Amino acid sequence: MPHITIPATNTTFDCNDDTIMRAAARNGLGFPYECNVGSCGNCKFELLEGEVEHLRKDPPGWSERDLQRKRYLGCQAKPLTDCKIKLNLRDHYKSHYLPKKTVGTLAAIEDITHDIREFRFKLATPNPFLPGQYGLIAAHGVEGARAYSMSNVTTTGEEWHFQIRKVPNGACTGALFDHLKVGDTVGLDGPYGMAWLREDAPRDVVLLGGGSGLSPMVSLARAATASEKLAGRKIHFFYGGRTPRDIFDAKLLSVLPGYGTRLLFHPAISMPEAAETPWTGKVGFVHDFAKEMLGEGLRDCEIYFAGPPMMAQAITKMIVELKVPTSQVHFDQFF
Amino acid sequence: MSGQKIELCKTSDVDEGTAIKVEKGDLALAVFNLNGAFYVMDDICSHGPGSLSEGPIHGDVVECDFHNGSFNIKTGEVVDPPCMIPMKTYQVSIEGDAVFIEV
Repeated sequence: MPHITIPATNTTFDCNDDTIMRAAARNGLGFPYECNVGSCGNCKFELLEGEVEHLRKDPPGWSERDLQRKRYLGCQAKPLTDCKIKLNLRDHYKSHYLPKKTVGTLAAIEDITHDIREFRFKLATPNPFLPGQYGLIAAHGVEGARAYSMSNVTTTGEEWHFQIRKVPNGACTGALFDHLKVGDTVGLDGPYGMAWLREDAPRDVVLLGGGSGLSPMVSLARAATASEKLAGRKIHFFYGGRTPRDIFDAKLLSVLPGYGTRLLFHPAISMPEAAETPWTGKVGFVHDFAKEMLGEGLRDCEIYFAGPPMMAQAITKMIVELKVPTSQVHFDQFF
Repeated sequence: MSGQKIELCKTSDVDEGTAIKVEKGDLALAVFNLNGAFYVMDDICSHGPGSLSEGPIHGDVVECDFHNGSFNIKTGEVVDPPCMIPMKTYQVSIEGDAVFIEV
């Protein structure tokens, strides 16, 4: 079993059939990462000694220049020998619940929209997670794992629910949507991610989601409405789609305590000209909607967001312009 | 609280055209020496986990070697994406051979 050493801090850990970052996280170390699938580049380290191999042969978050400087992605690099590496560990990236690999058995399926479906898995070895975190799903016959956020709230970790958006021609969502049946299994690994609910933050909560970003926002809304520490805080749930069929049934949220009084649902669509059914609600992008509704008040909120790259960029830009303290903003870079 | 002075390092600790990382309490800082003038900003990139004291310096600009975004060392302003959030910079003063910042 390869041993990994970080000489600068005299840290060592074992890495058995695993990537270096994930093994570090399982050992409770604050190894920086975000996407876990080779895209974001946050888990780069310098290889001082030894040999590694990336899981993905050409990960988007890695360049020729990195190779020249002997830098690899921690989430993708499997050691082939003992290794000495250089990087800065940071407490921010330490896991509250250590990520573990297990097997999930599909217990139930439910359609949320025309292209988002909830998959509920029972875990062979339960492992809890914080609301807003994600796991890696390895589907049979699909190369590599994909990151999906959980939508439920659990203290035991016996079940992980994922609201997953079907990607056109996507290998993993294709396998999940078209082939996976109740009773079938997938590989699960997690929890991961830093965009979890800050119950100690004494502020109203703003959730901004679009498309595949629904799942973590639902988990955060469920946890925030149930949190004693957040009692009395408003929870704004902004959700954007292109047309009305992208917007989920409000029942998903209206069953939660305080719906309509402190939990406020703000759906919006961006392409009314393509609407399949009449839409009398808001038209526009969620970040504009949030800015219009809350304005500079966003500076006094705890903000969580997840969604497609364009949306994430627009939200980040808005946050910079409004000078919202970055310590109050939580999201995982998946690209 | 403002106006508190913190000594970071000696001027001779930072070679011209380079930077060092200095940790003081909760602060992790990058101290730059550009042609004998000293500039200080937070060390951790506003975009990711990169350490700006380890980034290549081109003129007044430091590049974060995680995602190749860059910042103006004197002002903290973003020069190149993907970084979008300006870096926090500090008022620097030199007393004798010591570099101080005000927080």
